[in-house]
Amino acid sequence: MTNELAEGILINQTVVRLNRADVTDLEVDAFVFYAQPDLALGSGFGGAIAVRGGPSIQQEVEELAPVATGEAVVSAAGKMKAQHIIHAVGPRFQEEDIEGKLRTTMTNALKRAEEIQVETIAFPAMGAGYYGIAPDLCARVMLEVIKGHLEGETRIKELVICVLDTPQHNAFKTELEKSQ
Amino acid sequence: MSEQTTRSHKAEKVLERMGQKLNRQMVGSLLACVHCGLCTETCHYVLANPGDPTYAPAYKGDLIRKLFKRHFDWTGRVFPWWVKAGSVWTDEELEELKDTVFGKCTNCRRCSLNCPMGVDLATFNRMARGLLVSVGIMPEGVAVVSKDQWEIGNQMGVLKEDYLETLEWMAEELQDELDDPEVDIPIDQTDCEVVYYINPREVKYDPRSISDAAKIFHVAGESWTMPSEGWDMTNFGLFSGDDALGGSVAQRLYEKVSELRGKRLVISECGHGFRSTRCEGPNWARYDVPFVMESSIFTMLRYIKEGRIKVDKTRNSRPVTYHDSCNMGRSCGMFEEPRELLELVCSDFREMHPNRAENYCCTGGGGAMSMSEYTPRRLKSGIIKANQLKETGAEIVVTSCHNCVDGLTDVIRHYELGIEVTQLVNLVANALVIEPKVAIPVEEVVEEMVAEALPLAGRTILVADDEPDQLEYLATVFEDNGATVLRAVDGDEALAMATSEKPDLLTLDLEMPGKNVGEVFQILRENPELESLKVCVITGRPELRKLIYDRSVRRPEGYLDKPVTEEQLLINVRKILELAHDEAAAGAEGTP
Repeated sequence: MTNELAEGILINQTVVRLNRADVTDLEVDAFVFYAQPDLALGSGFGGAIAVRGGPSIQQEVEELAPVATGEAVVSAAGKMKAQHIIHAVGPRFQEEDIEGKLRTTMTNALKRAEEIQVETIAFPAMGAGYYGIAPDLCARVMLEVIKGHLEGETRIKELVICVLDTPQHNAFKTELEKSQ
Repeated sequence: MSEQTTRSHKAEKVLERMGQKLNRQMVGSLLACVHCGLCTETCHYVLANPGDPTYAPAYKGDLIRKLFKRHFDWTGRVFPWWVKAGSVWTDEELEELKDTVFGKCTNCRRCSLNCPMGVDLATFNRMARGLLVSVGIMPEGVAVVSKDQWEIGNQMGVLKEDYLETLEWMAEELQDELDDPEVDIPIDQTDCEVVYYINPREVKYDPRSISDAAKIFHVAGESWTMPSEGWDMTNFGLFSGDDALGGSVAQRLYEKVSELRGKRLVISECGHGFRSTRCEGPNWARYDVPFVMESSIFTMLRYIKEGRIKVDKTRNSRPVTYHDSCNMGRSCGMFEEPRELLELVCSDFREMHPNRAENYCCTGGGGAMSMSEYTPRRLKSGIIKANQLKETGAEIVVTSCHNCVDGLTDVIRHYELGIEVTQLVNLVANALVIEPKVAIPVEEVVEEMVAEALPLAGRTILVADDEPDQLEYLATVFEDNGATVLRAVDGDEALAMATSEKPDLLTLDLEMPGKNVGEVFQILRENPELESLKVCVITGRPELRKLIYDRSVRRPEGYLDKPVTEEQLLINVRKILELAHDEAAAGAEGTP
């Protein structure tokens, strides 16, 4: 299994790494969960959050729901290794204007990260996989937004992108290499 | 009637993607049907619903065929009324299509086999499922399982730590059973002859099948390992029609075997897992597989033929029959090997009729077990399988598929057949002849027996069940094994006692008077004081699983179908409590 770019590249003062890892199981200040508008944790990473973090997370986000597509909210991470979870509601299943909505979702997730002053943050491949966003599109949009954000003023020192499989890894690797 | 002119976004996307999915095989099947009707009587849904034409394979196929003709075939563009071409315009129409492609067909391919024109309904039915999934239209269970497999890497959302703890625990059980501390379930060993892949159901509900396989590998002296990641050989992409999921899962698996430099990928007994991994996966993943892939049936058979293991068929003396899994048999042609193995390890094997390629689906194929909204119609169609089973006179039905184990168990319970379901790995392990090592001093044996006699000592278990017989049965098994047992007979009592007594484990019947069991479960899960409470659902009504599993709270740690044997009950409860114990220990260690 390839895991190139785990060492990361530098964008401005921030290290951006690409990793094959479970985004919910990292020791970071915050990780992003690709959420649904009702903020129900559900299965997949949501199930992992419920098991590893305990019931307080679902209770906390229920107070914040519903959340419109493109928006992001923050909860504590219960007993998880991370401190915070950024619940970002992105586009799903070939809905209209995926690129625009994904860009907005990423922008808002990073805004929330700055608001809670995180220094280390992990992202999944936003919307790729279950929600069907093509890895190439996902990688291009995510890295454009990340690059734009990191070139401004930021507290983020390390940003990890967690991918699930080789197609996702290759898509991000291509885009990251363009950023070098 | 004028044709509608505005199409919903989802309908538009479905048609757009349909054009990308059509290949020669599918187009051949979409064009070839002459509506001769020979497929009709081959479908178990039709046979169980003789008055309902909507179950007929040709009818189901026409719902997809009309779209093909209208949008992709010249005849439908020129003479739509003549060739019955039609389109899809609204999200409601897509929902209706979902009801058919997911809820009225298990993709078992029995109709395909009997079609003189070679129409393969299952292939384009799967395509239609994939088109709907791509716009987010699917049964809730399909969504849950797909997301688990995409993101956690297995169909049941088993976390890596739980998987590894289960393997460790099974290795310890095996060491005790064989009285050999050297026995192990190796993880991530490189350069082994065999890398063994399993179904997550084995971790969650049937860990005995893992220790049985480990026992066989150990006795055969095999160089083997299990992977720490990418360990699930099932592939929900086959059922959901999501080729990207199919490719992703298969590639993760192949890459792990390659990383370990394994020579042979052995796939435990799972029909769709075998088909996905062995046959479809290389195409979905576009991966050139550099190692041998085989079903564990071949592996076990080879061990016997090569004299690497000895078996005594008299140890499996009750009459058994064999159910051919649709994916393993009809789709992959594995008919004779399981029978050859059965003849070697059982003394009374009886054929089921019809069998091999003509066998009927267990009713759980195509992911049907995850779609609880269709359970009533699935069980109704199960009358065909129930009659087949009954006519064999067997006490045990053997199948090489975990889906079939669940499907058959449901049918057997629903039609009160009283037949046990098992797999070849269990029978082979039971028939294994293991030479005794050395005699153990009597005092040590007695000490071990005392220690093993009360495996649940010190545990408090709350049994919630409104059936007095069931309640007493469960309570007696737990008490006989050393547990302190509390009893609740309705939802309110279960909630009150779980809250006040804080037991280690709650066994929960899904259908009880009083407060809705789903609400009880959610309240318990949301109570921070009960975070360490483990829950094992024990139900005779699998269709009620929605009550629990559709809630956005942590899922139960265990699930068992009634009737549950004492052995199944103990092995599962011990697994759940062993994990609880380990977690508590780990938590304590981590506390400053």
